[in-house]
Amino acid sequence: MILETKKLVKEFGKLLATNNVSFSVNQGDIHAIIGPNGAGKSTFFNLITGYHLPDSGKVFFKGKEITKLPSYRRCRLGITRSFQITSIYPKLTVYESILMALLSRQRVTLNLFSSAEKYFREEVWSILEDVGLADQAHVNGDSISHGDKKRLELAVTLGTKPELLLLDEPTCGMSPEETESIMAMIKNLVDKKGLTILFTEHDMGVVFGIARRISVLHQGSMIADGTPEEVRASEEVQKVYLGGAA
Amino acid sequence: MSFDVLFNQFLSGIARGALLFLVASGLSLTFGVLRVLNFAHGSLYMLGAFLSYSIWKWLLIPVYGFYVATLLSALVIAGIGLLIEYTILRRLYARGWPEQLLATYALILIITDIVKWFWGGEFLSIPRPEPFTKAVFLFGFPFPSYNFFIIILGLVLVFFLWWLVYKTRLGDIIRAAAHDRDMVSALGIPIPWLFTSIFVLGAFIAGLSGAVTAPYGAIALGMDIEIIVECFAVVVIGGMGSLPGTLLGSFIVGQVYSFGIMYKPELALAFIFMVMAIVLVIRPWGIFGRPER
Amino acid sequence: MEANNTTDKNISWLKSGWWLILLVAAGIAAPYVISEFYLLILGEALIMSLFALSFNLLFGHMGQLPFGQAAFYGLGGYGIAMLMTKFQINFWLSFLAGIGLAALAGLIIGIFCVRLRGIYFSILTLAFGQLIFVIIYKWHDFTGGDDGIQGVFPPEFLKTPIAYYYFVLLVFCIAAFILWRITNSPFGYILKAMRENSERTEFLGIPIARYQLTAFVISAAFAGLAGALWAPFYRSVAPSTLMWIKSGEPVMATILGGAGLFFGPVLGTFIITFFHAYILGFTHFWAIIMGTLILIVIFFLPGGILGFIKEKIDNRKKTDQ
Repeated sequence: MILETKKLVKEFGKLLATNNVSFSVNQGDIHAIIGPNGAGKSTFFNLITGYHLPDSGKVFFKGKEITKLPSYRRCRLGITRSFQITSIYPKLTVYESILMALLSRQRVTLNLFSSAEKYFREEVWSILEDVGLADQAHVNGDSISHGDKKRLELAVTLGTKPELLLLDEPTCGMSPEETESIMAMIKNLVDKKGLTILFTEHDMGVVFGIARRISVLHQGSMIADGTPEEVRASEEVQKVYLGGAA
Repeated sequence: MSFDVLFNQFLSGIARGALLFLVASGLSLTFGVLRVLNFAHGSLYMLGAFLSYSIWKWLLIPVYGFYVATLLSALVIAGIGLLIEYTILRRLYARGWPEQLLATYALILIITDIVKWFWGGEFLSIPRPEPFTKAVFLFGFPFPSYNFFIIILGLVLVFFLWWLVYKTRLGDIIRAAAHDRDMVSALGIPIPWLFTSIFVLGAFIAGLSGAVTAPYGAIALGMDIEIIVECFAVVVIGGMGSLPGTLLGSFIVGQVYSFGIMYKPELALAFIFMVMAIVLVIRPWGIFGRPER
Repeated sequence: MEANNTTDKNISWLKSGWWLILLVAAGIAAPYVISEFYLLILGEALIMSLFALSFNLLFGHMGQLPFGQAAFYGLGGYGIAMLMTKFQINFWLSFLAGIGLAALAGLIIGIFCVRLRGIYFSILTLAFGQLIFVIIYKWHDFTGGDDGIQGVFPPEFLKTPIAYYYFVLLVFCIAAFILWRITNSPFGYILKAMRENSERTEFLGIPIARYQLTAFVISAAFAGLAGALWAPFYRSVAPSTLMWIKSGEPVMATILGGAGLFFGPVLGTFIITFFHAYILGFTHFWAIIMGTLILIVIFFLPGGILGFIKEKIDNRKKTDQ
């Protein structure tokens, strides 16, 4: 068990965005969180990454409580996230963006007097190869295609050498072909680097194609949790997705 | 310390707060809608003061000339505001805020020299107008009745702005724009028109407040810098772009200044900035400000 | 393509390296070429350039616009001036103490300011800068208030204008080199990352506030260094060195020269300083000309002068290829 939440609660005013959610993610899994719009997926993600702090409940990472840690500390422990709305460095090159991640992960960033360009050449190139962006290494982040931005985003998160990677809608706005290639890439990374992945996704084809475990959120509560077959069979999930829910 | 002394000081603080509100409300309104912090707001205020002096002198109406001069100079400043918005700011909305800030900073330099050119460097003043020429005695202390005029004007402006922002259709747009600019565009309201009118209104208020300061203190070069820095303290304490925040900030700064002067005159201004620092430790975006992520 | 790009980079670095050597040589030769009046202006330009570079560490490299840098500049000047005249401490110790004072003030003020972004950061630094100005301006018994402090003399061997000029040149070159190294270090890269996308950078494991505070203190220390150079140069300090109008000078110089390039602020400062000295021979209405100049640069040269030149060169390269 790499990640565990216990009775997490988060309210925004009167809106109960996360309602008593307890769940866990197993080491090496590809775990999806699904749910209709407004189910509280993003909030739940934000509670895990430390963007928001929960009103009550606890979060554990590898058995250690991290409920109140700031985002950057969680990142140093090995939890990294990507963003639904692609969040890259527009005026840095692809190469530099990945270098940033490596620099911060290796804790050399308080070094004030050596040249940054000397660091991590091989590591950057190896990540560039992994995500297939090597030919665009010296292009600015804002001048590559949307699909490549998503790859870059993933590459930057990989640069922090995460153990648990949280992906918020990794295929959002991509063509079917791009979606397929990026999911294949993710699968490959899990096998090759032993990562654990927790992701949200609205495309059910993607979810059932890749996830080994699925949790379903509805109005802030977790209504189902299990293998894809179990979730598919759950009556409650069908009610929610077929619009029959009260 | 006796009650009457304190009350007198409190009342001076209210008058000062009212004057600060006159100036700061225009600054805050402009910032709330345009998201442009107009450094030159104080310069428009100064220009308003000098202009009202010249108009007053030219009118030669001894008793009520002041009121006419005030209104006229506020209108002229509004016209200058229109010119500034139309020729300079409008071209910069698409650019970064640092350029907008620097452009209004450049306006400070330009307006300062224009004032120096036309009026020279001397101190000028306008006598207090009827019926506010005499002091009234409160608990045996003389209190300039002109201060009541400022307080009343401040209250009028509070109610006017409250009515404008919360009771009119323009107010709905102003609040929407302060909240989310794209939404206003989506509603089909032409942003340039909205921005121009708000900036002109802000300039009008600046000119008006400059003109009414003339009989309150002296008219001099440097009055722009003095007031704008205090106004920054006001909006930072109250929360930038918030009308209630500006009101509360003006009240706090006015009081701190007034009692600070009584306690240690040379540090009155320092007290203001200390209060500001304390507020910001507790609420980094000011009392009524909203965090921006 | 990749190889091409890196060699390109090497060539441009070499080129700029040669330019630098030429410029430094010109700086060394200057006292034998120009009149004493212009030598003083040159010294002033170097000091103000250092001030502008300290500002641009935060603005151009980190993406935050401080509008209270004059407070640190002034504290550097007041630090050295007060220690030397009131406490009879020797020049070098006072010089270092001036820098230390500015850095300390930067630490205290920075703790409050780095929590804010954008215009809120600017306005808060401005307000804190004014706080320091007001304290020094009004504390007449201790700081001399309006009169400032006179009689700040450099040590005997630096007393001639030429000797002090060389001292300024040396300090400027060392300080600029250190700042240049900082901007190209891993730390400098993280500043750049915060400028581009601070949220993303936080999720790379960077405590944003702490890095911004570090940069803020470094910037304050270099502003203080400029101030500590200035006071003995001018033999006195006045409260106007702390005022927010003074804080506007590095902003203008940087935007004029180009914030995106390391030497942009230096170019901007040189233009403003020499232009100022020249134009004061004709008219007192210097501010209106300066204001108009700023507006022209904002409208017609969005990247500043160096930014404009670089763009032209880049475009030419593209068409050549």
